[in-house]
Amino acid sequence: MNGTCNCRERKTLLNEIGKIDFVLVELNLYLDTHPFDQQALTNIRHFQKMKKQLVQEYTENYGPLTRDCMNDNAHEWQWSLQDWPWEGGFY
Amino acid sequence: MWNYEKRLQFPVKITQTNPEIAQVIISQYGGPDGELAASMRYLAQRYTMPYNAVTGLLTDIGTEELAHFEMICAIVYQLTRNLTPEQLKESGFDKYYVDHTLALWPQSAGGIPFNANQFQSKGDVITDLMEDMAAEQKARTTYDNILRLVKDPEVAAPIRFLRAREIVHFQRFGEALRIAQENLDSKNFYAFNPEFD
Repeated sequence: MNGTCNCRERKTLLNEIGKIDFVLVELNLYLDTHPFDQQALTNIRHFQKMKKQLVQEYTENYGPLTRDCMNDNAHEWQWSLQDWPWEGGFY
Repeated sequence: MWNYEKRLQFPVKITQTNPEIAQVIISQYGGPDGELAASMRYLAQRYTMPYNAVTGLLTDIGTEELAHFEMICAIVYQLTRNLTPEQLKESGFDKYYVDHTLALWPQSAGGIPFNANQFQSKGDVITDLMEDMAAEQKARTTYDNILRLVKDPEVAAPIRFLRAREIVHFQRFGEALRIAQENLDSKNFYAFNPEFD
């Protein structure tokens, strides 16, 4: 599967997930100290859904980002076979 | 309980090795104002924190700091890949190499090992939050100092990201201090210690 993937698309998708997760981290910290801000609650729900969809798309096409998700068609344990993030590959 | 996400919080992709600058940047892994100390500080302080909002913030910032020292380690790792014995000697990285080869180990730029004495968990909400705010500023200053020495834009970009996070965390800890003080006696914040009395 590594040989057939479109690496540019993989990188773009991973960057997109990174951007959305950054928004989630910011909203999370903000809500910790402003737990009743309705606008922030609406926003975090929106971005949580968005991240879930993109992580699912990434998993199906390129492999797992967390150990609680995996590609339905995988015949190998991609979690440990694929590169780790500090190698500077897709990350 | 924690879950690992197999990606960096901000991408690190460095093509030029530079062991001199790696030796400086490693301070933000194991140095006095580094990300490891930050994470351990907040995650240690949270257990006796009497206000849930503040406990939540300590947990979430302490968790984000784990992702930050992962980024610092990725930077140091990529800056020291494939070094020759000559490069090791010329750069002065040989002194680190002799004990750790090219593996990551938490120490300051001056070679002092990571030590829990670099942070406090005092068990007093005002004391601890003041320390946390100071810690974020000290880390911000360290990143400013690093940025004066870094010329490579591939290294500067993730360092700038980390510097900006210190400012956001400082802001949030300031709000946490306000929340704590609203729960205390407004005439005398020090009348009692809500983590003990």
